Amino acid sequence: MTEKRISHTDLPRLLARLRERGAVHAPLEDETGDAVLTELSSDDLISLRYRNFRLSPKSFLLPQNQVLFRFQDGKEEEPALPDREMVVFGVRPCDAKAMQALDKVFLDGDQNDPYYARAREKTVVIALACTRPLSSCFCTSVGGGPGDGAGADVLALELDADLLLRALTPGGERLLSSVRDLLCDAAPSAVKEAEDRVRAAEEQIAPVKVDGSAQRLSNAYDSPLWASVSQKCLGCGTCSFLCPTCHCFDITDEVRGGTGRRVRTWDCCAYPLFTLHGSGHNPRPTPKERWRQRIMHKFRYAIENFGRPFCVGCGRCIRSCPVGMDIRTVLKEIGV
Amino acid sequence: MTASHEIENRLRATAEKLLREKKVDLFLGYEKASLPFRTTPLLLTAAEEAGRLVWNSFCTVNLAVYLPRLFKAPADAREAKSATPPPKVGIVLKGCDARSVVALIQERQVPRENLVLVGIGCPGVVDAQKAEKTLGEHEALGAGEDAQGSIRAVVEDGTEITLYRQEVLADACLECRSPMPAICDLVLGGPVEAKETDAARRRAAEFESKPPDARWARFQEMISKCIRCNACRQACPMCYCKECLLDQTRPRLIGAGTDISDVTIYHLVRALHTAGRCTECGACVRACPMGIDTRLLTRKLSLEAEDLYGYRAGQSADAIPLLSAFAMDDPQDFLTEPSHLPAASSSAQEAEQARRAK
Repeated sequence: MTEKRISHTDLPRLLARLRERGAVHAPLEDETGDAVLTELSSDDLISLRYRNFRLSPKSFLLPQNQVLFRFQDGKEEEPALPDREMVVFGVRPCDAKAMQALDKVFLDGDQNDPYYARAREKTVVIALACTRPLSSCFCTSVGGGPGDGAGADVLALELDADLLLRALTPGGERLLSSVRDLLCDAAPSAVKEAEDRVRAAEEQIAPVKVDGSAQRLSNAYDSPLWASVSQKCLGCGTCSFLCPTCHCFDITDEVRGGTGRRVRTWDCCAYPLFTLHGSGHNPRPTPKERWRQRIMHKFRYAIENFGRPFCVGCGRCIRSCPVGMDIRTVLKEIGV
Repeated sequence: MTASHEIENRLRATAEKLLREKKVDLFLGYEKASLPFRTTPLLLTAAEEAGRLVWNSFCTVNLAVYLPRLFKAPADAREAKSATPPPKVGIVLKGCDARSVVALIQERQVPRENLVLVGIGCPGVVDAQKAEKTLGEHEALGAGEDAQGSIRAVVEDGTEITLYRQEVLADACLECRSPMPAICDLVLGGPVEAKETDAARRRAAEFESKPPDARWARFQEMISKCIRCNACRQACPMCYCKECLLDQTRPRLIGAGTDISDVTIYHLVRALHTAGRCTECGACVRACPMGIDTRLLTRKLSLEAEDLYGYRAGQSADAIPLLSAFAMDDPQDFLTEPSHLPAASSSAQEAEQARRAK
């Protein structure tokens, strides 16, 4: 499909049209000036000045808390599957790539998670290519790039006066054709300009050595270095909760009398409770084992099981770590 | 005020000497981090690596947080058998960090005799989130400070931007009244004068002046951003409980998710458990990835401790911790005669009446 074009001034009209079919989440600035993916109401002014969002958009597919089903007096009620059509506009390519990674866990494996599957089916993702990466970005080293739309349905590329829109999936094609009266064909010169911008962004991103990590980590399980790389970790869950690919969860029953609900909640491998057995034994008793798991999961097991690292190089964990830990440094120190 | 690079040189020499002469097994300081406006803790064991230590306005982490885990008592007899003797630890302390160490000594979490406390008078540290926000759409690729203490950032196009220090200092530093370490074995650099500031009091009063329902609404709005990552708890030197109430699973006392009732309990419990113990370092605020002012409640509780009992946490290692002390003339009318509290606003009263009528 050829690229379509819409001017920035017409973008609100396009979003308004999409709102007729379901919820549209797009970047709005909160009271502190941060862009947050927020459900649009009629006259919201979206902002495209952000580099990325504080929180990853994984919660659209895997909410931090999700009621799986309710039960009453021993009887299970129908599971509450998400049923709203949704468009998420402005997801950065790294985060879209992360959704593609999550698909491998929740859809493509031997598990087909009905909650995730339904949310994914109902959600159209419009990614927005990056032109101003951060110094903590390293998407190009983990199979992505500032103009890579994988995982999204539509890729938008920003020009001075226009947005170029490129459908990447049948869902994306349907979305664009539903608003085709608002779109023009993009001139080849505009497409070239957009691609030049992406290339310029790509050149700003410093590479990190990740190639062959699975092989190198397969010999590193007993490395004494795990203790030293993890010693300043405080054991909070900031890195996991902000990570667009971290997807481990816990399941609890919240019961009062005869009624209750089964809830799925994000969990985090940095927490002592994560692997605590009922017996009181904990096979990962210290930050050493927890960091080993974090790195092994992302850069070895994920590659062995799903063919790609479970890190998209968004850099959130680097920017937000309370003690300034940097996953790039950890990888280097451990010899990846 | 001694220039920070001079202090840095002395710090390196001090750490090198302490490690070389085996006065300490471990030296806790800071080293350069990968991103500007930050440093990262350095747990140093080799004297020859002391050159990695830095001292500047980005040394924000309260290193006292690492102490309780270094001196953790063995959990059981088996662990006690294989336990190594407690280490000798050297540690760099700002005024607030020193207060945390004092409080930890008071609460018998760390043995004073195993510590070599290296104090530095602190002119305040930079809150990285604030600094980044001040730069707006620019991203700093490097940052430093000039002789006047202004923060200089080099942004992506190579231009240098000067940030006014007061604008990017951490909130806790703007409220700080004790920049000099209250306890230490040696001091690097000259004294930093204590400020007579009532910034904390003004901030608390501003919140307090609102009617109860507005306060509650503000509190709920603020914590609704919380993602329950536990960063505030983990960054807090006083949150050393072996098993946190909030982590208990037998029974599970509160849910682990972001249901507003669970988030509310999380923040209320944390505030109450640090009452009279919080040393006002602001580590929790700087650790929060969501920009929550986690000191909203603890700030007030610290003032209560000071106003009611004349107690400020972390002032003296010999003092009995506030909650362990009792005097016959302790004020208690806030318990027995709560009538002096500001009246609940009309809408809150109505809500309460409606609730009772039900």
